[in-house]
Amino acid sequence: MTQPFLSIRNADKYFSVVKAVDGVSLDIRENEFFALLGASGSGKTTLLRMLAGFESLSGGDILIEGSSIAAMPPNQRPVNLMFQSYALFPHMTVAQNIAYGLEMEKLPKAEIKTRVDAILDVIQLGHLAKRKPEQLSGGQRQRVALARALVKRPKVLLLDEPLGALDKKLRSEMQLELKRLQHEFGITFIMVTHDQEEALVMADRIAIMRDGALLQVGSPKDIYEKPESKFAADFIGVMNFLHVKRTGEGFATPGGTPIATTHVSEGVGEGEAIAAVRPERLFLGDAGDNHVSGTVSDIAYHGLDLLVHVKTDLSDKPVIARMTADVADNHRPEIGQPIALSWFARDTHIFPA
Amino acid sequence: MTTDRRPLLLMTPALLWLTALMVIPCALILVLAFFRRGVYGGIEYTWTLENIALVFDPLYFRIFLKSAGIAGLSACIACVLGYAAAYAIAAMPRRRQPMLLFFAVLPFWSNYLVRTYAWIVLLNREGLIVNIARWLGYQGELPSMLYTEQAVIIGLVYNYLPFVILACYAPLSRMNAEVTEVSRDLGASAWTTFRRVTLPMTVPGIATGFVFVFVLSIGNFVTPALLGGGQFQMIGNLVYAQFITANDWPFGAALSMVLILIMLGLLMGQAVVADRAAGGKGRADD
Amino acid sequence: MTDRNTFRLMLLILGVVFAFLYIPISVLVGLSFNEGGLPTAWTGFSVKWYGALLENSDILKAAGNTLIVAVFSTILSTILGTLLAVGVEIRRRNGKWLETIIFAPMIIPDIVLAIALLSMFSLLNVKMGLHTITVSHVVFNLAFVCAVVRARLKSFDWSIVEASADLGATTFVTLYRVVIPVLMPAIVAGGLLAFTLSVDEFIIAFFTAGAGRSSITLPMQIFAMIRFGVTPEINALATLVISVSVVALALSQRLNKEGLPGQ
Repeated sequence: MTQPFLSIRNADKYFSVVKAVDGVSLDIRENEFFALLGASGSGKTTLLRMLAGFESLSGGDILIEGSSIAAMPPNQRPVNLMFQSYALFPHMTVAQNIAYGLEMEKLPKAEIKTRVDAILDVIQLGHLAKRKPEQLSGGQRQRVALARALVKRPKVLLLDEPLGALDKKLRSEMQLELKRLQHEFGITFIMVTHDQEEALVMADRIAIMRDGALLQVGSPKDIYEKPESKFAADFIGVMNFLHVKRTGEGFATPGGTPIATTHVSEGVGEGEAIAAVRPERLFLGDAGDNHVSGTVSDIAYHGLDLLVHVKTDLSDKPVIARMTADVADNHRPEIGQPIALSWFARDTHIFPA
Repeated sequence: MTTDRRPLLLMTPALLWLTALMVIPCALILVLAFFRRGVYGGIEYTWTLENIALVFDPLYFRIFLKSAGIAGLSACIACVLGYAAAYAIAAMPRRRQPMLLFFAVLPFWSNYLVRTYAWIVLLNREGLIVNIARWLGYQGELPSMLYTEQAVIIGLVYNYLPFVILACYAPLSRMNAEVTEVSRDLGASAWTTFRRVTLPMTVPGIATGFVFVFVLSIGNFVTPALLGGGQFQMIGNLVYAQFITANDWPFGAALSMVLILIMLGLLMGQAVVADRAAGGKGRADD
Repeated sequence: MTDRNTFRLMLLILGVVFAFLYIPISVLVGLSFNEGGLPTAWTGFSVKWYGALLENSDILKAAGNTLIVAVFSTILSTILGTLLAVGVEIRRRNGKWLETIIFAPMIIPDIVLAIALLSMFSLLNVKMGLHTITVSHVVFNLAFVCAVVRARLKSFDWSIVEASADLGATTFVTLYRVVIPVLMPAIVAGGLLAFTLSVDEFIIAFFTAGAGRSSITLPMQIFAMIRFGVTPEINALATLVISVSVVALALSQRLNKEGLPGQ
């Protein structure tokens, strides 16, 4: 294999005795949109700040195109960070904010102006070049912060919760906008987020972090469809979990109903285990390999689809089935009604209890 | 690590300055208090406790007690007036409060001598108050108001009142209006609500105000000198006299040392009050 | 008591307190424009007492001295106080002793600091004059500047410092292109405060001025004049001194407010 573009090797970070990043090794490709996904305290932001140079490494190394940047101060790294708070300079105009990084490179004035104007066009804020940050909306500030980092043409752009401060509607617009810009500039993006949906939509690859370590790295499709752990399965999307027991070669519920599966993850031993299935993989009727019946306990209307909660004897929590609105229109389930659901063995994952 | 040294580098010039021109001089005072006064007013470098003993000599200790009494009374009056004013400001519409506060504090930043002098203008034998009394038809002899203990107390209250308003306003404005509304809602009268909810929550502000007025008053030199007249002595004037006229520096230093100790003691007491009011929670950010 | 009556009571309290605070000063200011100069009768508006000030060479000399002391101590204390504030706030975890040392100059009885400085200067045989007053004023001035700048730093977004480093700036460039400009309103406000404090300060100046009349400051001059009794000239001088403080303070307040976006 050729040399990876960016390589994190066995990186550790201790804050006194607390291990914030724990032996992370990760290769990131050129022009990749990579997401570090995890809950708060998972170490994802610390890892990002180690890449930017704001946290030193307690152990390990970080290489870009084969040379170590671990000892480089932040102002010399070919890496730029877009801050969660945007960190725009409040006393400078939009244009001055964007020009700042270029001025630090001591570029000629004319070139700075050309590049600032060009990027203002890209983010469509040319008409606001003379405004101060406090006169901008949240979305505009976000784009200025992005432009300020991108204009330096870094080898890697780091984004700390880039959409965290925006409202929901703007967020989905900016998700696509960010992807477009990444494509246009051909720069490697590494994004930190706690929002699994954001990671799924935007990233080429996702790394799930927990307690400072990498739990699973893969494409959004892999992460969603082939979770390697119960945590990953639970963290991404909605998942139904059922308590099962090993019965010889197969698995069955405590009540004896067999559960057919094609995915048994590592570490599943004798005795207790957990079966998982996505709500959208459940359907009405008995065409599937696994069956469950119960009574409808709740219906949550989501516009495009319905989440039907079904009280069964398979688990304490209701089993959730997602139905598109047209299915629901034909067989409208009602609270209290009996209902029969089934799903396929290929959609069933077994994890250690 | 370099990132930890940089802030120290920024702080060094100021800290050196404070060390050279505050810490060392004050330490010097503490040392000076234990030396003997020279025959011709200089300092004789032999250790003695005489100066400390002299502080507790009835002649001087009486001045201490009197100063403390005046400072305490001034602090009490300033706290009552200041708290009332702060409470009233906090009861005004929110957007008017900064302006009111600004004007309440404004006199505090103008010249202390001038503010004290203003009371001489009002209180002297030909002053405005006497004139108003005459104009109102009072013919008899008026007791002299200037150069009395009352004049000193008025001056001290007047000078430090803005500070008390500021100190009391801070906790009052931070108080959530809902807290008092809950108390009313639970059936407490307005007075009970004030006594059981508002006052306890704002005690630290009063304590801060009291300590400041007391500390600044007991060591005050200008107000007793101007409003108390020459004959009226407080510790500040006594210290002044030791350095300027009596030329007994060690005794002056001993008096100052006691002042410093009183100040430290009161500040500690105030910290305890603030801590209690915060329910010990206030230490969380330490 | 109804809410309406409570509100009226509050207005009454405010009225009384503000009257107490402002009547003495107002009387002083009013008398300074009284032709006759005496509180007994208003004999007409006049600025002649201000004119008299301009002919008093002692006062002019003292005013000049005060200006020298105030300007130099303001410059020094603004620089030292700002650096101190930035350092203290970056460090965050500061020991109690450090906080006490920074806080002490604001509360230490001035007579104590004054005699302490006098003792030290005499023991070291330092010749006293305007320079000793100036360096002594820096002691409390830098504490006030530091307090004002620290208050602004509480709402300071430190990520802009990291952003500046991330964009390629060195620590020094970050300090003068990002930190100082953002703090500028607070720094100027602190400086103005220091200036008024220095202009008004009496006791420390009195003790550290040394012998002779050459380094008398305006407050020292005023103190000497007051002891002779009430005169129209003092009224005029006092009015001027108050005006300087009020203007400087109003300016400082205004600047500092504008320096806090969104507040």
